[in-house]
Amino acid sequence: MTTTYKSIALRGVAAGAIAGVASALVQLLVTEIPIRAALAVEEARAPAGEEAGHSHGGEEELVSRGAQVVGGMLGVVIVGIAVGLVFATAYALSKRWFTDRTPFSRSFAFGAAVFGAVALLPWIKYPANPPAVGDPATVNHRTALYLGVVVAGLLIVWGASWLAAQLHAQSQPVRTTAVLLAVVAAAAVVLLAFPAPPDTVPADMPVNVLWQFRLSSLAQLATLYVGIGVVFGLLIDPAARRAKAPAKASRESTVA
Amino acid sequence: MTSPAASLSAVRVPKWAFAVSLLGLIVTYLVLQENGLALGAGSELLHEFFHDGRHALGVPCH
Repeated sequence: MTTTYKSIALRGVAAGAIAGVASALVQLLVTEIPIRAALAVEEARAPAGEEAGHSHGGEEELVSRGAQVVGGMLGVVIVGIAVGLVFATAYALSKRWFTDRTPFSRSFAFGAAVFGAVALLPWIKYPANPPAVGDPATVNHRTALYLGVVVAGLLIVWGASWLAAQLHAQSQPVRTTAVLLAVVAAAAVVLLAFPAPPDTVPADMPVNVLWQFRLSSLAQLATLYVGIGVVFGLLIDPAARRAKAPAKASRESTVA
Repeated sequence: MTSPAASLSAVRVPKWAFAVSLLGLIVTYLVLQENGLALGAGSELLHEFFHDGRHALGVPCH
């Protein structure tokens, strides 16, 4: 049973691994298509000005393209496991988050909220860029801005949960409307307060490749974060196990 | 039939859980954000190996 932190944490790791593998498959089958197109743009530009110390498939490459594809997928799975662990810990610590719902609903809503905070909000402010876009000189500045939006997004989720608890005396429709309005207002403030992306997209990057990449990236992020919420919910909700037990029994009886 | 979430809220979270979470955040940082701040020269290899994943997850990259 999910009564100790250790059992919850292990379910977080399992949920992260499963959602990470799903997200890595989206990467292999969907996101790699615009990445390949973007690398072709980068290669076409190589003779004019070779970038020192950063190669995506030149002769003096540090890591081969094949290794980058596998490594990229492995990285997504590792991040999934790490995020799943943190997700499970935050879930176990939460005292206010939809306490009147089932564990599955709580976990699903939490996964969706984390997706909004750490993926969708930064994606709107600083959309993902494929290879061949981005000035190496501004990477630390861009990373700081990106992390700033992630932290602001998480604060909004925490604040929404706090506000919902404060409005406990109100009726459910009034409470939901008030919290939604506050979340939209806070997100608008964050989007306005943070500066515009420092880099411009080079003219030789086709717009359709750019947006195919950005939408693929968003799909992959949704698979990872919402996937963790759904799988973790399935693993911790006793109702899921009870529903599965008879099905398994009937399957075994048909095999026998 | 579903059990109330209250039973889960009663779970005692030990102190080491925070260390475990911190480890999770550090791993995420190393895979997605490391640009040479923590590992110096070794980060170049790490960066290139996880390259596609960094782009795909929308993290600022070179």
